[in-house]
Order: sequence, then C-alpha cells, then structure tokens
Amino acid sequence: MGVIMTTESAIFVVKTTANQERSVANMITLSARKEHLDLRAILAPDELKGYVLIEAVSPGDVEQAIQTVPHARALVKGQSSIEEISHFLTPKPTVTGISEGAIIEITSGPFKGEKARVKRVDEGHEEITVELFDAVVPIPITIRGDTVRVLRKDEEGNV
Amino acid sequence: MSEQVCRECHRIINGQTCPICGSSNLSADWSGMVIIIDPERSEIAKKMDVKVADKYALKVR
Repeated sequence: MGVIMTTESAIFVVKTTANQERSVANMITLSARKEHLDLRAILAPDELKGYVLIEAVSPGDVEQAIQTVPHARALVKGQSSIEEISHFLTPKPTVTGISEGAIIEITSGPFKGEKARVKRVDEGHEEITVELFDAVVPIPITIRGDTVRVLRKDEEGNV
Repeated sequence: MSEQVCRECHRIINGQTCPICGSSNLSADWSGMVIIIDPERSEIAKKMDVKVADKYALKVR
C-alpha cells in the first residue's frame, strides 16, 4: 500500500499543576518543535484537571519534551489508546441529562444556591429556563446549562 | 488580550478575525484545547478532521 508506514501512536498522560494545563500544553508544543521530537498532538480537556494528554510514539520523546516545562510534573506510567480518550474530542452538550420538570440547584451567579424547576431546555444554546422556588411571583429566568446541578429528575406535582 | 475561538473552524486565535477562514464570528466562551503538531500522522487530527497544525478548541459556545 503506502510507501512508508507511520508508526502507531499512543496516548501518554502528563501530570501538571492544577489550572496550568493550557500553559503546559503550549510550552510542550514549543519544546517539541525546538527539539524536533515526534509528538503529534496535545489535548487539554477541561474535564481533566491536572493532566494533559499527549499523542506520541514513544514515552522517551514525551519525557524529553516535559523536562524544561514548568508546571509539568511527571509522565504517568503506562499508555492509553486513542479510543479511550476519543470521548473528550466530542463533548456532550452541558444540558444533556436535564429534562423539563426537573428540580435543579443553581451553582453560580446571582442566584447561587437557589432551587428551581426546569421549564424549558434549549439544547442548541445549552441554556435552560427555570422558575425559582423561593420567588413570590414566578419569573422565568434563563441560565447556562453548566451552572446547575440536578437534584431530582422529572418531578411531577409537589409544587 | 484573551484568546478567542473562530466559530467556523474552532481555531484559537488572538486577533479580531480568523486568519485562515477570514471569519469574524468569534467566541470567547470555549473549553478544552487541542494542539495539533503533526496533522498528517496524528490520529486525533484525523478524528477531528483537522488538516493544519494549529491550536483548536474542543467546544465553542
């Protein structure tokens, strides 16, 4: 088939200081380019705090790349496959799992700590419209889907 | 200046318009970062259908 078969790459995990994942990823890229190391891609998903994932062929290249990078702590032993991390590449909408009628608690913003009932779910914009329990007059407010925690799903009655 | 993401191609950029697709449809609300170094041999680049080495966001709102 092809003239040169490319060696299969694997995923290596590097432990970083929390909240420094993006800067570590940037620095590793610079270091890999400078030293001509065979790193192919670097992934820093928000869900994975304190780690970056590196697609490379050998752990030696990764080890070398992180040597001079501040906040890159260590290479985690072992390796992972592309299949195992592919779910990070297609993030689910944040409103997945929230249904109309569910009871939620707002986790940030001016209404932090308030409980509310979901009136509408907008998957496209990842927003939900809720009515606060403690409000005297029911005013629908629209908030981001990632700023809530679901307390109970599909609550019927019990207003 | 904070980094913004082109809504069309998901590239993380610093200016006001995307240098590749020319779009000014940018968003500062994004999450997850992927840096593609070697698009030809990277499996991640293949899965994401990325042909150019650059920084990309996983999710843009």
